[in-house]
Amino acid sequence: MEEDLDNIEAFEAKDTGRKLPVGWLILFWGLIIWGVYYLVSYTPSISGWSQSKAYEDSVRK
Amino acid sequence: MSDYQYDNQTVKGFIVSSIFWGVVGILVGLLISVQMWKPEMNFPPLFTFGRLRTVHTNILAFGLGVGAIFGLSYYILMRLVKRPLLFPKLARVQLYLFNVGILLGGVTLLLGMTQSLEYAEFEWPIDIAIVILWVMFAVNVFGTIIKRREEQMYISLWYIIATVIAVAVLYIVNNLSIPASLTKSYHLFAGVNSANVEWWYGHNAVGFVFTTPILAMFYYFLPKSTGIPIFSHRLSIIAFWSLVFAYLWTGAHHLIYTPLPDWIQTLGIVFTLFLIAPSWGSVINGYYTVGSDWSKMQTNYLTKFFLMGITFYGLQTVQGPTQGLRVVSQLIHYTDWVPGHVHMGTMGWVTMTTAASIYYVIPKIYNTEIYSEKVANIHFWFVLIGQLLFSITMWITGIQQGALWKAVNPDGSLKYTFLETLTRNYPFWQMRTVAGLIFTVGMLFFIYNVYMTMRKGKALASTTA
Ligand code: HEM
Ligand code: HEM
Repeated sequence: MEEDLDNIEAFEAKDTGRKLPVGWLILFWGLIIWGVYYLVSYTPSISGWSQSKAYEDSVRK
Repeated sequence: MSDYQYDNQTVKGFIVSSIFWGVVGILVGLLISVQMWKPEMNFPPLFTFGRLRTVHTNILAFGLGVGAIFGLSYYILMRLVKRPLLFPKLARVQLYLFNVGILLGGVTLLLGMTQSLEYAEFEWPIDIAIVILWVMFAVNVFGTIIKRREEQMYISLWYIIATVIAVAVLYIVNNLSIPASLTKSYHLFAGVNSANVEWWYGHNAVGFVFTTPILAMFYYFLPKSTGIPIFSHRLSIIAFWSLVFAYLWTGAHHLIYTPLPDWIQTLGIVFTLFLIAPSWGSVINGYYTVGSDWSKMQTNYLTKFFLMGITFYGLQTVQGPTQGLRVVSQLIHYTDWVPGHVHMGTMGWVTMTTAASIYYVIPKIYNTEIYSEKVANIHFWFVLIGQLLFSITMWITGIQQGALWKAVNPDGSLKYTFLETLTRNYPFWQMRTVAGLIFTVGMLFFIYNVYMTMRKGKALASTTA
């Protein structure tokens, strides 16, 4: 019985093999930029925000 | 017997074992789902919810999941590197030890021996057995790759390598504990540190047991069964590296609004959201691949399994990061929403993709065709409907639960007692049992189909021999 071994070429499309869809690139970089914003806004030593302060604010209302 | 045939038998052994543990785990799942609305179905001390729940999760993650991962990784590995396993006997011993280990693990959990860390409940002697098993796996995977007869390494191999390394690191670190006796130990880390390490492990168990090896299967078996090459190799590679880089930082999203320092939670959330990009890299790649020839949806019965699997993976990897956000976490955390999320991943993505891969592999090993595509289609629809019903009922009741918990009177006191919020779950929990039954029927069709294919293959082999 023959074993069907694989040729890697059969797995990779020739014409589109190096494409990165634009929408995906926007997602990728967009999330990195959002990450920087979020990190700055919600790190106590940078923005002063903290979980316990946020809690107290929410109770005071 | 040729080397490949010997190794194929090992692969088959893992697949059959995985299916066996799958049946056990799913039946236990059904029982615990009933126990949640019918307490008389608890049979103390062994068969109570508390013990059986750990049996359900561990047997399915380590028995069904890891069993299939061992077998299918070996299958993929040999074909991509164009050589049999470097240590065929070792793989066979690994198969036997695997089954003994899972059996012992299940029994000790029933007896109530537990480390009390989710997904790391097995006590230290079982942990040692698991580490030995994993080393055997690693030796064979790396040995075979080093001695490969094909220079280039396809993306599935990278995902397998990541699985081997990450699981080893995670499992060993989180299971570091100080034994007090043969059956009891204490986590090396205490308090918040213990929780942090536990969820660093817990989330990456999801990442490197329920994601990377399943993606290895997806990237391999989708082109194999459809004959369509993967749309973009470059996209697969970039998605791979960013996925493994980001995953290891995200565990803190299980500990939002806890004593874990705020900055660790925030950092975890940032990486959690970023994970959408690499995850969707694979989703998009899958869609574009099938998109180049949609007729395959009709002509190849496996295409829809893979496409539905990657669709649920896509939904899961948007829902998951969303759950990590503080605003969402405060509503859904501790509620039934989370089991809804969990079972979309485990039933819709992991089990769907694994079953399709097994449908591909078993006929190949027996040199025959699948017993019945029609039965496979019935299987598909049952598990799909069962899973959707399971997840949707849990999402509804989860949101309701969270909303009731948060409802306050004008004077600031809680509007509902805990019991009031709990009893509202009952109809949904009953529906979940129905959903589980539908899913189980689907899995029975799957098992029947695999069994009949093997019987057909055996009959064929004896007539041609
Ligand atoms: C008939 C099918 C199934 C049924 C009826 C079922 C039922 C359940 C129930 C009742 C729970 C406990 C939820 C709670 O504590 O509130 C649970 C948890 C869990 N199940 Fe299943 N299950 C099934 C299939 C599966 C499969 C196939 C897998 C994995 C491959 C799986 C993995 C898990 C995991 C990881 C948890 C823990 C979730 C968490 O901690 O949030 N289940 N299941
Ligand atoms: C980008 C990918 C993912 C992210 C960011 C993510 C995120 C999350 C978050 C934040 C939670 C905690 C919910 C809470 O308790 O409040 C969670 C729970 C869980 N997720 Fe995901 N998820 C992802 C993909 C997956 C996949 C593919 C699976 C596969 C089955 C999965 C299985 C689970 C399990 C088992 C739990 C329950 C953990 C527990 O016992 O509490 N997740 N996920």
